[in-house]
Amino acid sequence: MSATLARHKARERRRAVTLWLLAVSVTVFFFFPVYWMFSSAFKTDEVSSTFPPVFTFAPSMDNFVHLFLEAEAGKALWNSFFIVTIATLLAMIAGTMAAYALARFDIKGKNAMAIEILSVRMLPPIVSVIPLFMIARWLGIFDTPWLLIAVYTLSGLPFVVWIMRVFIQDIPQSVEEAAMIDGCGRIEAFWRVTLPLLLPGLAATMVIVFMFAWNEFLLASLLTSSDAKTLPVIAANAIKPKAIAFGLACAAGVIMSMPVIVLVLMMQKYLVQGLTLGAVKG
Amino acid sequence: MSVQIKNVEKSFGALKVVKGVSVDIADGEFFVMLGPSGCGKTTTLRMVAGLELPTAGEIRIGGRDVTYEEPRHRDIAMAFQDYGLYPHLSLRGNIEFPLKVRGVPEAERRTKVESVAQKMGISHLLDRKPGQISGGQRQRVALARALVRNPRVFLMDEPLSALDAKLRATMRTEIKKLVTELKITTIYVTHDQIEAMSMADRIAVMKDGDMVQIASPLEMYERPQTKFVAEFIGSPAMNLLPARARPDGRMACDLPVLAELLPDAELTANPVAPAKMAAYIGIRPEHLSLVEGGEGQADFEAVVDLVEPLGQTTNVYLNVGDIRMIAVVDRTRVQAGQRVGVKVRREALRLVAA
Repeated sequence: MSATLARHKARERRRAVTLWLLAVSVTVFFFFPVYWMFSSAFKTDEVSSTFPPVFTFAPSMDNFVHLFLEAEAGKALWNSFFIVTIATLLAMIAGTMAAYALARFDIKGKNAMAIEILSVRMLPPIVSVIPLFMIARWLGIFDTPWLLIAVYTLSGLPFVVWIMRVFIQDIPQSVEEAAMIDGCGRIEAFWRVTLPLLLPGLAATMVIVFMFAWNEFLLASLLTSSDAKTLPVIAANAIKPKAIAFGLACAAGVIMSMPVIVLVLMMQKYLVQGLTLGAVKG
Repeated sequence: MSVQIKNVEKSFGALKVVKGVSVDIADGEFFVMLGPSGCGKTTTLRMVAGLELPTAGEIRIGGRDVTYEEPRHRDIAMAFQDYGLYPHLSLRGNIEFPLKVRGVPEAERRTKVESVAQKMGISHLLDRKPGQISGGQRQRVALARALVRNPRVFLMDEPLSALDAKLRATMRTEIKKLVTELKITTIYVTHDQIEAMSMADRIAVMKDGDMVQIASPLEMYERPQTKFVAEFIGSPAMNLLPARARPDGRMACDLPVLAELLPDAELTANPVAPAKMAAYIGIRPEHLSLVEGGEGQADFEAVVDLVEPLGQTTNVYLNVGDIRMIAVVDRTRVQAGQRVGVKVRREALRLVAA
């Protein structure tokens, strides 16, 4: 009896160890490029180009110094931050309101409207470059943050509308109706009841919209020339026709990934809440 | 507060779901709208609440025209089928919500919430969230939230349909007691005829967007005006036999004895079954009794098809030629296949419109 129990326990332990090893190896597999990027950012070019690669070295800030002093990374960081934050906020606000209307109101042809909104995303971005360029010249906003703000807001909007529409539909209508009977107008009901319930959805959507715009390279490189350059454009400058400055590229990568990591950590509370809250049913 | 609904209509696109409903509900009355799904009862209730706007007609609460008023200005409370609780707020937050929105000071809110929670028996749960309590408790919270601000009119949209049968019976009694004590005018929507019969002062049976009959529960049971009402209310359903008008003004029926027994007064008693029109002769199953042996006293003879003993009563299914009828009797020894005499309680015969 106790022998079978011991055997059972041993099997359980083996299973746990195997699972643990598997988890560790998957983590290492995915984490290694990130680790390599972070470590290479602190290597000088001589160190990062040695073969076989070295794991111990004297960290150097050369790459960051170069980025900020010569490659105008400071300005690009600010541009990225300003453009992407404003664009994300605009897309979230306008998109959520549109999603609410599409989810809750009886609008003629609202499905056609939703498809129309989504069609913006079906367009390959490169197709829109020339018209955008011409419109921007005409409006005098070429190479200003406003052009990229408009572009990123527009490309984030369909995503927000479609995702938030589902989140809003998931909230039972009776919850909002109860609020309206309890003394709220429609806007107050949205503010007091719907919005708090939407927070997890808003957080998840916002992180994704922010990341899309933050990492966007194609339009940023074609629609800016100097003043409104964003971080991905600067990072790409590390790749020269004759050689790739690995250290610079990795340092730019580190700078770029920091805000996203911070954002995800900030939103984590809501992202987890989304899994546990759920609507009240039955 | 009284509620008047006048010729109210509602269309969704080309679909007309409420077709000119009119009713006056008195102050303090418990009014039930009963009907199968899709009959327009919930839409009518939602128009009283202000959650839908009528396409035509007028709604008055306490004499004031509120047809196009926002829900919050109607001074009503509502209980929803899925409770409509705020999942992100504690039960206390849920119950005090209507007070908070109306700017009631905190100390007053606290005492009111506590007293209504005590009345509903949920005082010990106030710090929980709606997701952490049972269905019956959720319905109590929804009722507490509705009652906390002393509404003038209480609207309930199938509030018990998500509960199990036993709890439903308890809550039914409790709700009825509560709103009767507080003398709140209540409009209650249900598809369950037992709920309607047991709670209502008056019932409106609805079908295809119209109220087909408005009457007290007993009158509805005793004198259903149409076949639909007769079949919808009462279980087992009323026995109905197709009847034709004869040239002399009497009725003819496949079981002639019923037409002969039908009292003269009944020929004109049903306002929606005009004379000389096709109709039904109806009799509730409990007004048929079985006569064993002494065939002379029976009105007609039948063959027992099936016997269903339910303990308190027994359902006996009868065949009279091709006609099938059902009788509800006390305990009986009759068996399937046996020939029995059937006696009809004459004054319980009704003329029912098609």
